[in-house]
Amino acid sequence: MVMTSEREPDVFGAISHPARRRMLDLLVEAERSVNTIAGEFQMSRPAVSQHLRILLDAGLVSEQRHGRERHYRLVPGGLAPVRDWMAHYEQFWDERFRRLQELLAKRKPE
Amino acid sequence: MNNTIRREVLFPQPPEQVWQAITDRATLAEWMYPNDFEPRVGHQFTFQVPPNPKVRFDGLTVRCEVLECEPPSRLVFSWSVAGPVANTQVSYRLEPDGPGTRLLFEHAGFDLSQVGGDQAFKGAEYGWARMLGQLATVVANRTTDAS
Repeated sequence: MVMTSEREPDVFGAISHPARRRMLDLLVEAERSVNTIAGEFQMSRPAVSQHLRILLDAGLVSEQRHGRERHYRLVPGGLAPVRDWMAHYEQFWDERFRRLQELLAKRKPE
Repeated sequence: MNNTIRREVLFPQPPEQVWQAITDRATLAEWMYPNDFEPRVGHQFTFQVPPNPKVRFDGLTVRCEVLECEPPSRLVFSWSVAGPVANTQVSYRLEPDGPGTRLLFEHAGFDLSQVGGDQAFKGAEYGWARMLGQLATVVANRTTDAS
């Protein structure tokens, strides 16, 4: 069990903010320009850009330039580390139940 | 971003015996962790996951409350640590399967958007993934040692 991916903390950090989670939700539907995204939030344009930068750095969205405007879209598979997190808990229970089976087998030999 | 773990486990032992193993405090400590469980709805208890300095795991307390208890077939309790596991639910259903038991297990209510989330663990505390990785290693090592 090696958890050395340098990107992992960025992904978890990136989805830790409610505004960034909402941005991801918006981008699930379609690619959007910064302006369109900003229109959905009360915060300032620079603040929106900053959040998008964090999502970009975490590899959760990609950026395309259309003339003077930047567009963002979701990167498929970007959330894989989050799914992997779940896999650890699954492994935890699998190990527990193996112990339980062994314990019961030991206690009551046929 | 909600997720549920489901497992189906078969035991050659009858439901009464499996029920004993998942509800008796001492037995539970043998395959889970030290605890103060009681098979009574409303009872609040904890699992004490011991630290393991070898893998830099600090240990933790899992806070639980019995929500349903119908011997020998159904047990549900809440399972809270922090963040993504703040209010999850563990449920066991035991069904007779010939002379043995079929265990239908569910651990539900993970809020994956909270992994590394904005409350309990910011920044360096992203460690949940890491901690569970370590925990799995500890468990795997123990199992190997025991056999």
